[in-house]
Amino acid sequence: MSVRKIVTVVEEIRTEGGREVDRPARVAVVAAVIENPWAGQGFVEDLAPGIDANASDLGGLLAPAVLDALDAPAEAYGKAAVVGLDGEIEHGSALIHTLKFGDHFRKAAGATTLLPAIEKRGPAGVVFDIPLKHITDATIRSHHQTIEVRITDAPHPNEIVIALAAAAQGRPQQRLAPLSTEQ
Amino acid sequence: MQEGMVHPDENIGLRKLVLYRDVVFTEAGEAPAQPARRASVAAVIRNPWVSAGPSADLSREQSHIAPVLAKLLTDRLVASLGGVDEIESFGKAAIVGTSGEIEHAGALIHTPYFGNLVREFLQGESIICFADTRAEAGETLIVPLWHKTHASTRSHYQTISARVSDAPRADEIVVIAAASTGPRPHPRIGDRMTDPVVTTESLEVVPS
Repeated sequence: MSVRKIVTVVEEIRTEGGREVDRPARVAVVAAVIENPWAGQGFVEDLAPGIDANASDLGGLLAPAVLDALDAPAEAYGKAAVVGLDGEIEHGSALIHTLKFGDHFRKAAGATTLLPAIEKRGPAGVVFDIPLKHITDATIRSHHQTIEVRITDAPHPNEIVIALAAAAQGRPQQRLAPLSTEQ
Repeated sequence: MQEGMVHPDENIGLRKLVLYRDVVFTEAGEAPAQPARRASVAAVIRNPWVSAGPSADLSREQSHIAPVLAKLLTDRLVASLGGVDEIESFGKAAIVGTSGEIEHAGALIHTPYFGNLVREFLQGESIICFADTRAEAGETLIVPLWHKTHASTRSHYQTISARVSDAPRADEIVVIAAASTGPRPHPRIGDRMTDPVVTTESLEVVPS
């Protein structure tokens, strides 16, 4: 795995809707900009060797880093893969849609649900939103949220941005009724 | 109370803080000899001068708000870069929302109430380089950095981006402090001490 750079973003929201939030709402993202393992190889039918060589290492790198950046227990989480213009979206999906990647985060955060995700292809500087859901119950509506990320010089055409996001709480000023009240 | 003493106001209308940090492991395929961490910290506050008009005196609010921002932003920078001794270069910036004046951005970053304190907190001596603009929410601002004690150190001329996806609103200002723990990844364009004298005569060419 060849990592060019690691980017950390931490948002801390103090007021929302004109009112202070009970405690500052924190959301963190850590993104690794890596060389696309399948760059320059044409259409690769079997992605398994590339997944085996990279996905677990990426999960092991990003999971502790995003929890460290959050500096609080995670209550919601999500992931993203943004593939440079010369790659396939399948390449990004290959690296994040495997237990070899996500289990690092689940284990480190004490989580049990699947990670919500986005996968897209774009030029360097493309804006992407990472969806987050509750780490043990994906139906908990208060924790559905997103964080927006942009890295000015990534991904290059032969790169992939792989990111994890974690939130220490639900949305600031969340006040929707639970899903169960509609059933 | 001492005459003329300024009391910073904790209530600065702070909506959110955004930290952006990057660490370069390889550049042009090779690891830097001195890998640098770079970070920007942005604070979104309400613009205290919206509708105040171009003749309004900005001094009272700047003396109350700017010191709080200087402390808040540099505390976050120092924590994210591993301590003040690690920081080698610095910069500052502001993005004012569309209902404000660029002068409002300047009031918060170009006076001693911000600049002197940022320099003191980051243990620098140089003038702090800057960028400012007026923009819609989500604009990316490229913040210049240079060496905190030797501004002409060419290896440390670099930039980092700062962006808040939903700020500034029209009546807000984003105020940014930024820093780096080292030079560009592979600095190799010499310095003032090694430069030859370059004039049109030395080049034996008169550009036309």
